[in-house]
Amino acid sequence: MARSYLFIPANVPRMLQNADVFEADALIFDLEDAVSSHEKDEARALLARFLDEHRPEGVELYVRVNSDDDLEKDLRTIAPYDVNIVLPKARSAAIGNLTTLFKRLKRRFRVLALIETPKAFFELDVIAEDKMVDGLILGAVDLLNETGGTFSEDGDALLFPRNKLHYAARAADIRSIDTPWPRVKEGLEHDIKRTAALGFDGKCAIHPNQVPSINEAMSPSPDALYKALRIIKKYESEQTTRFSLDGEMVDKPVIEKARKLLDKAKRYGMEVGEDG
Amino acid sequence: MVEKDLERLLDALPLEDGMRISFHHHLRNGDDVLNPVLKAIMDRGYKHLHLKASALFPVHKQVVKALKSGCVTDITTNYVSGPVADHLSKEGLEGSLTMQTHGGRARSIIEGGSPIDIAFIAAPAVDESYNASGVEGKNPCGSLGYAIEDAQHAAVKVLVTDTLTTIEHVQIEGRHIDHVLKVDSIGDTSGIESGTLAISSDPIKLKIAREAMRLLKALDAIQEGVSFQSGAGGVSLAVTAMFNDYLKTHGLKASFYSGGITAGHVEALEEGLVGRLYDVQCFDKRAIASLKQNEAHIPISASDYANPSNASRVIGDLDIVLLGASEVDLDFNVNVTSDSYLNLIGGSGGHSDTAEDSRLTIVVAPLIKARTPLIQDRVQTITTPGAHVDCVVSERGIAVNPARRDLIRSLEKTSLPIMSIEEMQALAHHYTKRPAAVKKGDVIGIVESRSGGRLDTIHKKVV
Amino acid sequence: MARSVVSGSLESSDCLITLTEAGETSVQVDTIVHEAFQRHLESLIRETLKQSGVKNIKVHCQDQGALDYTIKARLEAALARYEENDDG
Repeated sequence: MARSYLFIPANVPRMLQNADVFEADALIFDLEDAVSSHEKDEARALLARFLDEHRPEGVELYVRVNSDDDLEKDLRTIAPYDVNIVLPKARSAAIGNLTTLFKRLKRRFRVLALIETPKAFFELDVIAEDKMVDGLILGAVDLLNETGGTFSEDGDALLFPRNKLHYAARAADIRSIDTPWPRVKEGLEHDIKRTAALGFDGKCAIHPNQVPSINEAMSPSPDALYKALRIIKKYESEQTTRFSLDGEMVDKPVIEKARKLLDKAKRYGMEVGEDG
Repeated sequence: MVEKDLERLLDALPLEDGMRISFHHHLRNGDDVLNPVLKAIMDRGYKHLHLKASALFPVHKQVVKALKSGCVTDITTNYVSGPVADHLSKEGLEGSLTMQTHGGRARSIIEGGSPIDIAFIAAPAVDESYNASGVEGKNPCGSLGYAIEDAQHAAVKVLVTDTLTTIEHVQIEGRHIDHVLKVDSIGDTSGIESGTLAISSDPIKLKIAREAMRLLKALDAIQEGVSFQSGAGGVSLAVTAMFNDYLKTHGLKASFYSGGITAGHVEALEEGLVGRLYDVQCFDKRAIASLKQNEAHIPISASDYANPSNASRVIGDLDIVLLGASEVDLDFNVNVTSDSYLNLIGGSGGHSDTAEDSRLTIVVAPLIKARTPLIQDRVQTITTPGAHVDCVVSERGIAVNPARRDLIRSLEKTSLPIMSIEEMQALAHHYTKRPAAVKKGDVIGIVESRSGGRLDTIHKKVV
Repeated sequence: MARSVVSGSLESSDCLITLTEAGETSVQVDTIVHEAFQRHLESLIRETLKQSGVKNIKVHCQDQGALDYTIKARLEAALARYEENDDG
């Protein structure tokens, strides 16, 4: 499961052809807000030729499509490629409409629903339970434009939407993905810590330089990994699901959690060892 | 006597056609000594001069006029960029261009192979005994490392200063000096910092920096007492910051940093992460201020820095150096003298000196610049021979020189993207396609190795 | 006035394609990658043009080091715009 989701403007060749060197676990090629209305046609052509010749390997690929009249054109353009979509301004009705559209195109995409309107929060469970939807992304800037809140380092205005979105995603067993922090550097570390502490699975990045910090914060810590390793080792040698380690009781859920953590670390190519 | 008029100074100098005159580049793009001195000499109608500047920067436009008029016919330098480089690439020159290394220049001046008739030395502060300092005065430039050999070995030595004062930090001793010229201004210190002297915010450069740092860790190269040199490019500055962080988190202390010194090096010194800074040139104001304050920040001459005949040269003890490249070829030869289209863009400076002396030489460069691939079958100009280059780090992979079997062995278990140089070239060509051969024009000069041999020829562009 | 459209930009790694109605087809490439890719770019443009079937058009490509996929995409987008502007 991806830790970092990097937005790449789809009409900028320099960004497209380097998108896979920035170490993001997932890329979101953006046909929506990063592309002005009179460049949509150029961006679609560029993205298609790029995916023809230089489709990045070893990274999850998404396209943020437009939610309006351009949606069908966008989906037609990317239909031949092994990519999935991010649906902006997601509402339950809009996701319902996708089913019709997918049928017409004879192509089903998996969907990450970008939640960025207040109304969407009152149908989140419906959105999250939809079988096309793999995850929820919080889009804080648009959301706060409507609610009048401030996107500040303390994150107060986002306390409700962040928790609500994360709980809805957990309840439906899909991914919870936090909003990008709007400034490249200043305040980033603080914001990421908050994301990680709330338990989110991943976080979006609007600049490649945000990715290393996100990956680090959203990865298991070396100490936690080392402990997980010791739990699994002791479990394997004692052949029982109930024992104590460093004076703490270990039981089945703890062993399960340790295993998940180690799997996660392995996927991210992290080293697990005594040095931490 | 201190002369206050350039024309009267020139009257007093033994100027002749064909003379060899030298300048140093410590004021970098803020220098205002070379241009007016050369103009006055040109206006007097002298011809066939051999210009021996330690480096030429975009500010040095007067050199183009002097080349066109026949006043200057030969140039020996360690680095050339801007209009002079463009002119040489397109038009060539009447005589010859010799590109030296920082260590090679010092060696050739000391050994007499490259004599200087008159040295014009920009000196930020001069006292009544003609002692000079680089850290005092109204336009301080820090270390005067590249001017020391000129001041000792030229037939006639002239200090050019804008500040006559008493001096605490003597870098050039007055007993060597023949004349002092007092001018209104020797230049603008802020021009020293022009160019890229901030940690890069370019995400590709930062990726390269992270990969270089991961390589150093994988090689276990950062040990207690390590010595390290990196330049002032965006990648180098980023790696220096990461290197400092690594020392701090692991409780290690480096023995010395050398070469061109920046704020990042000074911070490490002041935080106790490194024992000494051996400074042959200051790249920013923080470095200049530190050189004045910190006793462990030591100015060194070009000879003490990199002269291959000087057994006690600083870089003889260097563990790790990080260097740039405009091209690398399949034999690991590196070009920083020209680009792939034969435009002169720089020169060795200390590149090939440090590559040869350092125990580990890492070249950092983007694999693709616009459409031009980094790895070529053959570089246009060899600045540094591949035998002295150990690793090439790009944003998409790391190539290790097959001659360094020890390094390859210690990287066997790493998850880093280690590949052969041929694979790295193929990876670049996957994006760019294979470039057609670029035709070379007439030979305009040579790259001289630090020991004085001819390393390669320099060609004009076909325009 | 002759029908004329543009696509792309003069940003690094991009190219600006200008299509102008003309008496015959011609291709002009100005590129920062010089002779290393000049001829390659010209033939790539001619080939893409041929596939589109559009004739009597002047193509001017101001290239900032674009890769093939960019050249093709910019030209395709420009051709689509050119066709759309058919009424002049």
